[in-house]
Amino acid sequence: MSSKEFFKSRYAALGWQFKETRTRQAIRLNVSTAKGKDIVQRLESIGVQLEKIYFLKTGYWVRNSTMSVGATAEYLLGLYSIQEAAAQIPATLFTKLGGKIVYDACAAPGGKTVQLADLMNNTGLIVASDIRKRRLTALTNHLERCGVSNALVYELDARRAQRLKLKFDRILIDAPCSGNFAADGNWFERRTIEDVERNAKLQKEILEQATSLLIENGEIVYSTCSLEPEENELNIDWAIRNLDLQVQEIDCFGQDGLVDIFGTRLDQSLKKCKRIWPGETQGFFVCKLKRGAG
Amino acid sequence: MKVILDFAARFDTKLSLNPDFVIKKDGRHFLLNRILRRFVLRDYYYAGVYLGKVRAGKFFPSFILLKRMAENKANSVTVDGKASWLFICGRDVFRKGILAVNGSPNKNDYALVLNEFNECLGFGIIVCNLDTIGKGTDVAVKNVSDIGDFLRRETRWSA
Repeated sequence: MSSKEFFKSRYAALGWQFKETRTRQAIRLNVSTAKGKDIVQRLESIGVQLEKIYFLKTGYWVRNSTMSVGATAEYLLGLYSIQEAAAQIPATLFTKLGGKIVYDACAAPGGKTVQLADLMNNTGLIVASDIRKRRLTALTNHLERCGVSNALVYELDARRAQRLKLKFDRILIDAPCSGNFAADGNWFERRTIEDVERNAKLQKEILEQATSLLIENGEIVYSTCSLEPEENELNIDWAIRNLDLQVQEIDCFGQDGLVDIFGTRLDQSLKKCKRIWPGETQGFFVCKLKRGAG
Repeated sequence: MKVILDFAARFDTKLSLNPDFVIKKDGRHFLLNRILRRFVLRDYYYAGVYLGKVRAGKFFPSFILLKRMAENKANSVTVDGKASWLFICGRDVFRKGILAVNGSPNKNDYALVLNEFNECLGFGIIVCNLDTIGKGTDVAVKNVSDIGDFLRRETRWSA
């Protein structure tokens, strides 16, 4: 069986019939630097046709453009960022971000860090870290372009984040993952189930470390752009059994998380997670966890 | 920090920077606020507001610093849409593209370059007296640094 057939059969077993999908380019307005309506008007005046993403407040799909949306003056001025639609969801799920101490655990290239800063109106503190120094350059370029002023950035493995000697109100874990075929045309040739299992182990370690840094009643938003349950529902099921975390209701785009994975019954609260099969967006998984909420 | 204040002074503007909140690492200067100063660790990679870097004794300002200087009424020229586009592509500003001169029009002075929305696109050196603007195709402001640099950096990394 080819890799593609193998993964397709898994998706079918999870209740989704495979269909070829490619992601649509999307942007997110940085409303702390300018008014959203003004940015849209300016982009339309230079030939960028936008379509509001109905499930996001500040997200737009790029329907057509006479120029690269990554090379406009408005982009270079930090008025918007290029960010895939589903990837815009996680940062919006936290309650009351303003003034909080937030950890962005796997931050590079920084799209979500900038989004957090925008949602926080540059108040409070974001500690952003990534393990790869080369990717930090992209992250800090992004912060400078968008005028972010409330971030501290460290070259740091999220599994060693106790070194920061801080407790956090909110933690975003946009975990390193296997990705998905909608965002990567060669995904099926590149990926094996061993990759998935290796990533799942790494994600558990990051979750465990992050939980130890979370204040009582603090929130973790966990996301991946993987479709594989080992990196999603199975990891969250493990986390609620082992880390004093509870899954919280979230109101966002996506289907309920799965509670039956290849015959294994998971905790029913996993329905509160959101799983996004490729279609209008890339594949994605997101959930909100609270410590000590039970 | 003196290097930053001296740079701003070349635009006839005075920045108020509390030295207790400015930190420096590998020649890069950052401005913190109270919260960041409380929590920053010694091995940070980037912190707060990036102000610019010193390389070989020369100061290279960040675009956040230039933006703050623009808000602080530094010397500037406001340019039309076409000149804005050419400027962020790395080109100089022609006299005919200038809509307004805000502050010094004198040759050899530094000037921020603003677009029609008063957004700072970078800065340059005035290479001819700007008393008469809006005419002529000769270069008026020589490009020193522009926001197109964000794209050039990406190209450098991917090379």
